[in-house]
Amino acid sequence: MEKAIERQRVLLQHLRPSLTASSLENLDSSLSASACAAGDSSAYYRTSVYGDDVVIVAAYRTALCKSKRGGFKDTYPDDLLAPVLKALLEKTNLDPSEVGDIVVGTVLAPGSQRASECRMAAFYAGFPETVPVRTVNRQCSSGLQAVADVAAAIKAGFYDIGIGAGLESMTANPMAWEGSVNPRVKQMAQAQDCLLPMGVTSENVAHRFGVTRQEQDQAAVDSHRKAAAATAAGKFKDEIVPVNTKIVDPKTGDEKPVTISIDDGIRPNANVADLGKLKPVFKKDGTTTAGNSSQVSDGAGAVLLMKRSVAMRKGYPILGVFRTFAAVGVDPAIMGVGPAVAIPAAVKSAGLELDDIDLFEINEAFASQFVYCRKKLELDQEKINVNGGAMAIGHPLGATGARCVATLLHEMKRRGKDCRFGVISMCIGTGMGAAAVFERGDSCDELCNTRVVGANNLLSKDAR
Amino acid sequence: MPVFKTPFNGYAVQFSPFYERRLAVATAQNFGILGNGRLHILDLSPSPASPLAELASYDTADGVYDLSWSESRDSLLAAAVADGSVRLYDAALPPSANPVRSLLEHSREAHSVDHNPLRRDSFLSSSWDDSIKLWTADRPASLRTFREHAYCVYSAVWSPRHADIFASASGDCTARVWDVREPGSTMIIAGHDFEILSCDWNKYDDCILATASVDKSIKVWDVRNYRVPVAVMNGHSYAVRKVKFSPHRGSLIASCSYDMTVCLWDYMVEDALVGRYDHHTEFAVGVDMSVLVEGLLASTGWDELVYVWQHGTDPRAP
Repeated sequence: MEKAIERQRVLLQHLRPSLTASSLENLDSSLSASACAAGDSSAYYRTSVYGDDVVIVAAYRTALCKSKRGGFKDTYPDDLLAPVLKALLEKTNLDPSEVGDIVVGTVLAPGSQRASECRMAAFYAGFPETVPVRTVNRQCSSGLQAVADVAAAIKAGFYDIGIGAGLESMTANPMAWEGSVNPRVKQMAQAQDCLLPMGVTSENVAHRFGVTRQEQDQAAVDSHRKAAAATAAGKFKDEIVPVNTKIVDPKTGDEKPVTISIDDGIRPNANVADLGKLKPVFKKDGTTTAGNSSQVSDGAGAVLLMKRSVAMRKGYPILGVFRTFAAVGVDPAIMGVGPAVAIPAAVKSAGLELDDIDLFEINEAFASQFVYCRKKLELDQEKINVNGGAMAIGHPLGATGARCVATLLHEMKRRGKDCRFGVISMCIGTGMGAAAVFERGDSCDELCNTRVVGANNLLSKDAR
Repeated sequence: MPVFKTPFNGYAVQFSPFYERRLAVATAQNFGILGNGRLHILDLSPSPASPLAELASYDTADGVYDLSWSESRDSLLAAAVADGSVRLYDAALPPSANPVRSLLEHSREAHSVDHNPLRRDSFLSSSWDDSIKLWTADRPASLRTFREHAYCVYSAVWSPRHADIFASASGDCTARVWDVREPGSTMIIAGHDFEILSCDWNKYDDCILATASVDKSIKVWDVRNYRVPVAVMNGHSYAVRKVKFSPHRGSLIASCSYDMTVCLWDYMVEDALVGRYDHHTEFAVGVDMSVLVEGLLASTGWDELVYVWQHGTDPRAP
């Protein structure tokens, strides 16, 4: 070994900078390896581990429970958010005063009231007054948007540690329109389409792209089957934070303290025959039923993000790296097609191709749009929603994005190094889609500026 | 033009002085820092499917840094091995008989070998143990050891006109000219401020010598007045690893460098750079010009590729 070091020293002497030519490098400067900026293909950019990567250190969620009937029907929204925020601190031993911002995705509640509730939840969770809180609303992808906002702020250097969260109590705030609608909406079809009930947009997707009732019911059954299997196998135990709350008996008015730690919407015995008997809700001869739509739920989730350099310094395990995020717009009348547009956009900006993605969490707002997106992108069913989706687990609008981050990253952790890239995506009411690409924290290729070229055809990989 | 992929990193290449289609390549694993070595003998076959065919290859326990074809026997060649040994191989004998001789005297890495083109039985080796040794093919021990350099001797080359004269290039920033009949060096050229990695004699003018250095330049010297160089050629952006005079044109020089390029120069003219080839994707460390075919060049580098091409054409062109 000594011989090798000595040889390396002799050879490195040959690369000493010298002053005779144009360069005026410092003679004492030592040589060191550096990343190749030659960028023939994105492979160089997407693989190296850098200290300014935004990484996810922890991601937790509450159980998701049926609204009005489920475990959280008598729980205040701030009591949903506080436990997950507190869990982030307890499980990582992070000093709460180091958090630069808490961003909460939330949809249905009145804006200012919800912002206040979130601020109060931060206090309940043990954050000092110095840590700011704000909310963000991008409808169904608010939770993912909150995570993306925190990642962007860390990248921008506003702060080094932040929390992206999501919160929705559809018990406390059902979907509703307050006040009157501006009659001007009649003049513009697209604006009018924004007022369509989501179920109608689902019928539009099914009708326009020919997604059959049979396919939709099958997707719902698969979702329940996978979610039930994951629950039975204890897979969600890593991500669910038990919440101590109360349940009021509607008849007697008795309060009963309970601890909620299991998603209560999953029906292990769901089958196509039973679902087939359900009546369509939004259209007489339609295909969208209560059985093949996402469940109306209550829940919250929270994700702790920081710079990789900070995480390494503090010795935190790295659950995943936040790579890219994309939000796109689509026709409001068929808002469910959002993921089919957003996923390719996010994957492309990560320098990847769809084949590179090992795991998907695509929100099942409706089976119609979920099946359409899966077929449109020609995705492998084995890679999508392997632990079930919103049709079984539930879709608390603002919390879903954060819930998906927890589910995806814990599943990637379980799957090991073969599962390198994961994607989360969802459609968004009023015609949008959002998607984000995550990478395992411990994947990296060696720095390399040469590649094996099979045929010496002198063409760059980008030229194909 | 022909390309050959070697399993290890290339270190040196040389055309056979007997067959216009034959060449040998010295390679070392892991950039010559650690691991094995291999000596390849290649033939330029006329078949376009495999333009460079391997005739024979010999494995060594340490990297092979240089090779030199014998001037007396068409199948014989010598290799400088990183374990300090100089090994002789005879391609006419079966692999089990090779190496025909292992000469282990250098205490550190042997970095160059050169057969005497006039007195055809003798050859030189230079080593990182700061010494140069003179050998003949029929003796098991060296005839003489030349110790004067204060650091690694990277190359020692015979004069093509005088059977007893050779020059050496060393990391002590000097090049020296020696006469084997004299006890010490006859000339010390302290012409560079940084290590000198290679030197070569002009094949037409016996007084002209070129040196290549870590200072990125190639300098041409007249031994009758070596205080100032005849020409200084700048153009490489990193250390120049090897320099070689053309056997066909007196003023033509080929060089290869850590900047991954192979360059051709005419030191007699103002605008000296004649051509630049950037076909290698790693340090270019070996270059040779064919004696038998004018304008035919070969190069090798740490990208594990050997290229053979005609001057003026693209080495990578299929």
